[in-house]
Amino acid sequence: MTSTANPRLPFDRRNALDVAPLYETLRREGPLVRVTTPAGDPAWLVTSFEAVREVFRDNRFGRSHPAPEQAARISYAALQEGPSGDFETEERDHKRLRRMLAPAFSAPRMRRLGDRIQELTNGCLDDMRAAADARRGEPVDVQELLAFPLPVLVICELLGVPYADRALFSDFSDRISEFDGGADAQAAMAEFAAYTGGLAVAKRTNPGPDVISDLVAMQADDPTFTDLDLAQLAAGLLFAGHETTSTRIALGVLFLLSDTSRRDRFVADPEAQVDATVEEILRMSATGGTGLLRYAHEDVEVCGVSIARGDAVLVAIDSANRDASAFTAPDEFDPGRKPNVHMAFGYGAHVCIGANLARTELRVVFPSLFRRFPGLRLAVDVDDIEMRPNRVAGGVVAVPVVW
Amino acid sequence: MKINADTAVCVASGQCALLVPAVFDQRDDDGIVVVRNEEPPPEQHDAVRQAVLICPSGALRLVE
Repeated sequence: MTSTANPRLPFDRRNALDVAPLYETLRREGPLVRVTTPAGDPAWLVTSFEAVREVFRDNRFGRSHPAPEQAARISYAALQEGPSGDFETEERDHKRLRRMLAPAFSAPRMRRLGDRIQELTNGCLDDMRAAADARRGEPVDVQELLAFPLPVLVICELLGVPYADRALFSDFSDRISEFDGGADAQAAMAEFAAYTGGLAVAKRTNPGPDVISDLVAMQADDPTFTDLDLAQLAAGLLFAGHETTSTRIALGVLFLLSDTSRRDRFVADPEAQVDATVEEILRMSATGGTGLLRYAHEDVEVCGVSIARGDAVLVAIDSANRDASAFTAPDEFDPGRKPNVHMAFGYGAHVCIGANLARTELRVVFPSLFRRFPGLRLAVDVDDIEMRPNRVAGGVVAVPVVW
Repeated sequence: MKINADTAVCVASGQCALLVPAVFDQRDDDGIVVVRNEEPPPEQHDAVRQAVLICPSGALRLVE
């Protein structure tokens, strides 16, 4: 393979709030450019807002591959590492999945969850205060006490997963998403599916008002939806439901605290500003990973670039959301941005099914946090916030704060 | 302003229904868009335009 001269993902960046500067250079080179994956294989990186949108909405790109054994490999994690699903039936399978899940994540359902999310948030904020009292003014960690537990509490209730098991599935999530995880990532994925499969078995006899019970009930009417399909889907939802939102809470706090005038502006009237502020946090939050994976199912031309059937295509949301052709002053945090049509949840048929859940959580968490602790400030410099590099979903290790 | 929603194109993401619940809803059984008010009042026009812009499927169209 002759991909050694191409830049290799993941790209370096200065801190948790910045995107890799290389994205801007690559956007100037073209809307799609050649890169090397963390696994060392060649792929296309989709860099521009327009091309990202086009690839997302074009159903000639999918997650399966016409000849999986020949497909470019992305990493040695156990998700987004290579082709998944059946090339012949992918579109039909995906539609079935969306149809099963869409009602559970609908806007009316998420709105009804709002009061419960508020209660759970208040509990996390109580814990933050108790931790600060116990440490007599020493910094407390927003990641540990709010950004991690809140989305986990919410997704556990929604899916019907015991919160007491959080250390277990958090460990699975961590291991499956490490780019060079290899055999351990595969083992963790098997353990994860065995865990959620066990929950499904229990719900077959004792169903609850939760998504896994709903899936178990739907499975009874559709024998082609196997136990393994169900277990992997539940694991995927559990992973996506906490990792992604957790990172947005942590990064949102960092965006608002890294410049105290931003914080003061938000604190002056959180409820009036929260919706637009959340959209700007979503736009600017970068995972620093590889982008989302697609394979071309046939020869396709995107923004004048010819992609061959079978080519791996990595859709760089981090780059699209900082594209100056779509956003004025794209690297400025501007909660007044209007309109703010970002790609944080993707676009097209595969758009994030949890978008309404994430928005509902984020719209509760920031006003609650800054009403409770209006004098919140970072205990360390943003440049010293430790990132979780080499991970599919990115994120930070800790966000130490005082007030 | 008149809203046209193509239910065959909709992917049931429900982002419109979270943004402007007075105008958009979702079907209970599959989450597909339901337009509650095809000709919304002027005070909702801004929010409806935003909903059309963020619609991930291109199912929403406006005639103004």
